Amino acid sequence: MYNLGTVFRFEFVRTLKKKSFWIMALAFPLIIGAVFGIIYFSNKASTKAAEDTKNQKFSLVVTDDSGLLNKALLAQFGASESTDKQTNIDKVTSGALDAYFYYPKDLSKDTVQVYAKDVGIFNDGRYEGVAKALLQQSVGLTVGAQKTAVLQDGVAFNSATYRDGKQFDGIKEAIVPGIFLVLFYILIAMFGNQMLVSTTEEKENRVTEMILTTIEARTLIIGKILSLIALAFIQIVIILVPIILAYTLFHSQLALPNLDLSNLPIDPLRIAIGAVIFILSFLLFTGLLVAIGSIAPTAKEAGGFFGVVMIFIFGPLYAVSLFVSAPTSPFVVFLTLFPLTAPIPMMLRNAVGNLSTTDMLLGVSILAISSIIALSIAIRIFRYGVLEYSRRMPLSAIFKK
Amino acid sequence: MNAIQSKIVVKVSNFRMDFGKKTVIKDLSFDVKKGEVFGFLGSNGSGKTTTIRALLGIYQPTAGDLLVGGKTFSVSSGLKLGYLPEERGLYKKESVIDVMIYFGQLKGLSKKDARASAEAFLTRVKLSDKATTRIDKLSGGQQQKVQLGITIMNNPELLILDEPTKGFDPVNRRLLMDIIEEHQRGGATVIFVTHQMEEVERLCDRIILLKDGVSHAYGTVDEVKSAYGGMSLDDIFIKVYGDENERNEEEA
Repeated sequence: MYNLGTVFRFEFVRTLKKKSFWIMALAFPLIIGAVFGIIYFSNKASTKAAEDTKNQKFSLVVTDDSGLLNKALLAQFGASESTDKQTNIDKVTSGALDAYFYYPKDLSKDTVQVYAKDVGIFNDGRYEGVAKALLQQSVGLTVGAQKTAVLQDGVAFNSATYRDGKQFDGIKEAIVPGIFLVLFYILIAMFGNQMLVSTTEEKENRVTEMILTTIEARTLIIGKILSLIALAFIQIVIILVPIILAYTLFHSQLALPNLDLSNLPIDPLRIAIGAVIFILSFLLFTGLLVAIGSIAPTAKEAGGFFGVVMIFIFGPLYAVSLFVSAPTSPFVVFLTLFPLTAPIPMMLRNAVGNLSTTDMLLGVSILAISSIIALSIAIRIFRYGVLEYSRRMPLSAIFKK
Repeated sequence: MNAIQSKIVVKVSNFRMDFGKKTVIKDLSFDVKKGEVFGFLGSNGSGKTTTIRALLGIYQPTAGDLLVGGKTFSVSSGLKLGYLPEERGLYKKESVIDVMIYFGQLKGLSKKDARASAEAFLTRVKLSDKATTRIDKLSGGQQQKVQLGITIMNNPELLILDEPTKGFDPVNRRLLMDIIEEHQRGGATVIFVTHQMEEVERLCDRIILLKDGVSHAYGTVDEVKSAYGGMSLDDIFIKVYGDENERNEEEA
């Protein structure tokens, strides 16, 4: 691996110098910042609008055929009662009355009718809110707070589930091993195209022969991969730091939930398995990208093949619920053990804890063998395929060499 | 010219190269001695570049032995090689000095030595003001000079130049000839692919003419001339490849 450090530095520094790298790296945090900003100001504006609406008084007439409304509550809302439905509708239509609510006899069959003066699309909803509140609070007064809570889905639950004699919280247990799945996704999303461009670059710049008589193809490829991993981590840091800062400093203003990560369960075995699957999946993916970049004459043409690989790798995401609910189904087992689709099902099933020992051992072995084969073939294709500057190298020609 | 030593630096024996059903080189044998300038001549498509690529391990030969310094070439063999391929190119988005330092380091120089060597060369070829310019902002001729600089910056023992003067104006061609002679005087062995017979006359100690995948003539410049009744190399080239060129033109 002579010169690996030189290749790493050259590839790393020149990518850091590219505007496109910084545009890509900074675009995501900027977009996130903009979204957070919109959420913050939108929340603030909504709260103010809700407060304003609450304090606004409007003239209201109610017809209660249901008999459920509480008279005292109606008075509290400033509403008067009437039995003449059409007259009140006419008053609302002419602007003489702000709102009129009609509560039918059988609420389970007929709808409550709300007639009101338009006050703008964002404020018109207040009438239905008041109509609903009147009804709910009136009924609540007859059944008591406890039954009201049950009916309004206001009862809190605290669950404790057990597996193998120990308390087991499936969602919390999945968080730490699931990080590898997220990391894999981010790394590929950021790294994929760069790897492809980086591999086709020698070919597009016609620099292959000079390079291959100076350095081993394997060293060049590994140097490129390592530099891109380092760059991907820089991008991840650039993305995560503003998100963490925004959450830490403004989570209450942004109405984000409180996350208590202090008691997350740590399962060293599952984390280790997740790490192994992640590394092997990454190597497999890298091998495929290098092979594609070496076969195709330009990065543009390589992009088409890249799309196919992405479908294989991320296609299984559409079957996420199946991986959780039916882990032993033949389809799930097939996706878990087929090399190109294995990364997502294996990492996901490992995270949720339904990856059987047999599937894990088989899957890891298949991924390991596939990664080695993919990388070896990729280096061979790079070695012999990159000289085909202007045309796509037929695979048969490469393997005959 | 430098005294040619009897030690053989490059030895090609019974080399055959097939691409699918097409045989580019049928059976080729020759050797290159230490310190000589060896001219590799032939019409377009005669297999010169293929032979050099096979010699440098870029292509795997179908048959035969291609040895550099007594063994199959590998980048880790420790041989100080300078190779200017026929297919020209550099990292276009990078600056001249960065690319030269990178290649210098890949060729085993320290960063400091690579920078010094690059700057000295750029000064010599009057490109020192372009050191921080991106390669793609240079003219074609300037890019070729940079590539030549990269080729020789490690002071190579074996210099392989595949049509080095292609695209050069007479001034730069003269500069290139001078550089080749300097390296030969310094003890380097030079393999030189060209179609310019005056360059061959000026520089080459021995030559080989490649035709139909075999050696058509091989020896010192004088020996080859004598074999053709004292004809000039230009006339020999026309005599040997004239029919082939006509055939190629008709096919085209």
